[in-house]
Amino acid sequence: MAGIFRTIYDWLLRMFWATEMDVTMIGLQNAGKSSLLRVLAGGEFTVDSIPTIGFNTKRVQKGHVTLKCWDLGGQPRFRPMWERYCRGVNAIVYIVDAADRPALPVATEELHDLMKKETLEGIPLLVLGNKSDLPNKLSVDELIDAMNLKSITQREVSCYGISAKEETNLDAVLHWLIARASR
Amino acid sequence: MSYMKKDEDADQTMIKLDRTSVFQDARLFNSSPISPRTCRTLLTKIAVLLFTGEQFPTNEATTLFFGISKLFQNKDPSLRQMVYLILKELANTAEDVIMSTSIIMKDTAVGSDVLYRANAIRALCRIIDATTVQGIERLIKTAIVDKTPSVSSAALVSSYHLLPIARDVVRRWQSETQEAASGGKQSTGFLGFGGSSQAHAISQSNFMTQYHAIGLLYQMRSHDRMALVKMVQQYGTAGVIKSPAALVLLVRLAAKLAQEDQGLRKPMMQMLDGWLRHKHEMVNFEAAKAICDMRDVSDAEASQAVHVLQLFLSSPRSITKFAAIRILHNFASFKPHVVNACNPDIEALISNTNRSIATFAITTLLKTGNEASVDRLMKQISGFMADITDEFKITIVEAIRTLCLKFPSKQAGMLSFLSGILRDEGGYEFKRSVVESMFDLIKFVPESKEDALAHLCEFIEDCEFTKLSVRVLHLLGVEGPKTSHPTKFIRYIYNRVVLENAIVRAAAVTALAKFGVGQKDPEVKSSVSVLLTRCLDDTDDEVRDRAALNLRLMSEEDETATRFISNDSMYSLSTFEHQLVMYVTSNDKETFATAFDVATIPVVSQEQALAEERTKKLTSATPTLKAPSTGPPKGKANGVAEAVTVATTQKYAEQLMQIPELKEYGTLLKSSAPVELTESETEYVVTAVKHIFKEHIVLQYDIKNTLPDTVLEDVTMVATPSEEDVLEEEFTVPAPKLATNEPGIVYVTFKKLGGEHSVPVSSFTNNLKFTSKEIDPTTGEPEDSGYEDEYQVEDLDLSGSDYVIPTFAGSFDHVWEQTGANGEEVSETLQLSNMKGIADATEQLISALSLQPLEGTDVALSNSTHTLKLFGKTVTGGRVAALIKMAFSSKSGVTTKIVVRAEEEDVAPAVIASLT
Repeated sequence: MAGIFRTIYDWLLRMFWATEMDVTMIGLQNAGKSSLLRVLAGGEFTVDSIPTIGFNTKRVQKGHVTLKCWDLGGQPRFRPMWERYCRGVNAIVYIVDAADRPALPVATEELHDLMKKETLEGIPLLVLGNKSDLPNKLSVDELIDAMNLKSITQREVSCYGISAKEETNLDAVLHWLIARASR
Repeated sequence: MSYMKKDEDADQTMIKLDRTSVFQDARLFNSSPISPRTCRTLLTKIAVLLFTGEQFPTNEATTLFFGISKLFQNKDPSLRQMVYLILKELANTAEDVIMSTSIIMKDTAVGSDVLYRANAIRALCRIIDATTVQGIERLIKTAIVDKTPSVSSAALVSSYHLLPIARDVVRRWQSETQEAASGGKQSTGFLGFGGSSQAHAISQSNFMTQYHAIGLLYQMRSHDRMALVKMVQQYGTAGVIKSPAALVLLVRLAAKLAQEDQGLRKPMMQMLDGWLRHKHEMVNFEAAKAICDMRDVSDAEASQAVHVLQLFLSSPRSITKFAAIRILHNFASFKPHVVNACNPDIEALISNTNRSIATFAITTLLKTGNEASVDRLMKQISGFMADITDEFKITIVEAIRTLCLKFPSKQAGMLSFLSGILRDEGGYEFKRSVVESMFDLIKFVPESKEDALAHLCEFIEDCEFTKLSVRVLHLLGVEGPKTSHPTKFIRYIYNRVVLENAIVRAAAVTALAKFGVGQKDPEVKSSVSVLLTRCLDDTDDEVRDRAALNLRLMSEEDETATRFISNDSMYSLSTFEHQLVMYVTSNDKETFATAFDVATIPVVSQEQALAEERTKKLTSATPTLKAPSTGPPKGKANGVAEAVTVATTQKYAEQLMQIPELKEYGTLLKSSAPVELTESETEYVVTAVKHIFKEHIVLQYDIKNTLPDTVLEDVTMVATPSEEDVLEEEFTVPAPKLATNEPGIVYVTFKKLGGEHSVPVSSFTNNLKFTSKEIDPTTGEPEDSGYEDEYQVEDLDLSGSDYVIPTFAGSFDHVWEQTGANGEEVSETLQLSNMKGIADATEQLISALSLQPLEGTDVALSNSTHTLKLFGKTVTGGRVAALIKMAFSSKSGVTTKIVVRAEEEDVAPAVIASLT
């Protein structure tokens, strides 16, 4: 019985105050996009997941906000298609493997290329340094410098260090995203 | 009620669909939240456009594809199904379709909703590319063995489509496919928990899975004959396969195997025989058809199949009857005496209300019937000729035409039948077939000539088709003067001059002239000239011209005019045309220095042309309503052996002319048929052709490298003759480079040491020599260093038959006497134990000796003895005749006594030697 009331309550809540928002998650291959999304949606962290071919979607419910997350493949062949999926979304989440220093220049270049696109003007950007549980990771400040994030203007830019595996700092990510929902 | 109305409205909007407006509406896909209902309507509109032939340009298709892929966030099952339907269609035109792979894979996973899992699998195989197939391997494997038949079927069909893209990956799914193929029994029995109707539906489609699995298995194994044989035997056992469609596939496969490999014939025939008693009609029919179509099927083998078909003839269902009678009809063309047994049942079908069945019944009876029954049948046919369409009338006329050639003594009855239907209403095609049948009667059954001509005269009196009138008039002109009362025809012909249009008048004038030119009777001659003089005043210039020319010819005294008019012999037209084309299209300027020489074209006499035509007409099965692949295509090849040889020689001559070194050898005299020196599945496939020149022999090796990622360079062939004193090697033209699956040619030339007229016979051992280089997979370029290798292929025999060309002659006895008088004779008795019968031996001997069968002896009538008469000419023009007497006993095979006579020295023994 309580379940029914609960459902009705949720439904009413969604009916009048619910908001939906689109979030695109991009980044180089093996940065941890799909794993992060799985954990955000309440799933278990798995060590060996298969590479995403193309894209994937998942809905994440947080309070009265539903996040529709587009998880795009990070392999070079899919990168030209990122822009198409970033158009008109509420926020772009760019995920970087903070422990993979050699890949950082490429990640920086791809990000800056994307941010130059006119169609994506003004869309908030959240850069996440994933895998903060690994020993030789970059700190958040180091990451901001290395990726030259300060040069990105005309939009909101934030940078967090997280770990999808240990589930550190994930709440901050969700809060940041939900705050963009009202826009 | 109101619901109905709404539907009608919807229907109307669908009709007015416009591509651009639908494309504009497609922005709806990007809206949020998604409304499944409206999106589905829009998708349906796109589907209507796509399925009615509208094409979206690539950029629009790509935009649509991405728009639609956004709909994946909604879980509505019917929307999702629609999405898959459209994605599948757009996958061919849109770019970057690979983007959707992951999201679709999610739906195909084991735990996902069963409702659209099958749809997802089918869409997945359309968007995937070769590099990612490996990624979905595990997924498809589990889907193939899934318990739900729709999923399993979808996976099997998808694999079928993926096979050409990613052969190696798909081939690894064999064991799963096998499981699916034999999985029919498990899920039929215990599906108690579902509703009865559901269980029924599932068990029904479950058999379909078997069909798909068998189809896929066949594709996977199509290169491995032994695996195919195993497959037929494994799944052909009663009870393993429940799907009749799958069994039909197996029947076809078994028939194909039996056709290709004589060794497999017996076990496969046994399987086919078993299927004749299967409980599904479909399987019975397919098996019966396969047996009837089998090459040289024996009477005993066929009788069982015919018996099964006979039972179906009395089935209450029209479609069953039709299928049975159609197979019998085709089979009756080859073995009428076997079908004979069904005659009582077939006769009952003549009065069937379904005209298609009745027509097939009649034509079958015409083939199977003996002389006595023909008259009765003719009467019955005329009864219902008025009720059937032209198309069926033509079938019947064709059947009667073959009958005329078969039973010349019955010509009177058939002629009156033909003239009867000629008077009926009918279109051009029908009338043409009747007139042509009568032409054949006149040509091949001389007794009927006068009557048939009289009927044709009557026909043109009232003929609405100019083309037919002209043809009949021409025939009257050719045949009329030879009859006892030529004057009778003159009256009919002149009537045309008075009454018809210009084209017919012109033809009539020419026909008239044939009565006049060379006419011995002065009275007839003068009356013809009177008539022609009247034509000089015709309104049409062509008619006037012809009349004037012919009047002049009539007054001419010498033989030229007669020869011109009677036109007894003409050039072999196919050769003539080919030579002219060769001459005109030649790139070499020197060719035009000399005029085209007509004398090089062989002249064919009227008699020769007629005889050839008759064999062709008798051997080619006449039915026009036959299925595309019926009837063993034997026989035909022999009738035109001569033409084929000439044509292939010319084809090669063109090729050889491209090579400067070979030019000085002169013209090519003969090219043999290609001989396979390797199995067709080996690494290097080699076939050889022997070219005979005046003083040289050129061996052409066609080599194909089938190894992937390897290039062969400097490919040569070391051909060593066994007889060193007759041939001397001159030079080799190597193939510089052979990429994978690109054929290349190596020529090796020899000089005949014995001079122009010698007939060197030898066998060659062949060694392929080359440098093999692997292709670097990253650059696609061959590596710099390779290794030299040799590859021995089978030996090639140069025999006496390579020096002879099949030639036609009107009378064998005549040429036999002539060659005997001024040539040498060699005879030999051979035991051919590997031949399976007279028919087989006849065919093999004709091709081995490369001579033309004369007097219809290429068709063996008896199974125990046969005499084969063969004739040909050597490349230098000397005549060769062979008389072969054969006797067959099941113990010792075929015993033959071969007598060869040849005008030139050494030829006869060389020809005989080519058999041993």
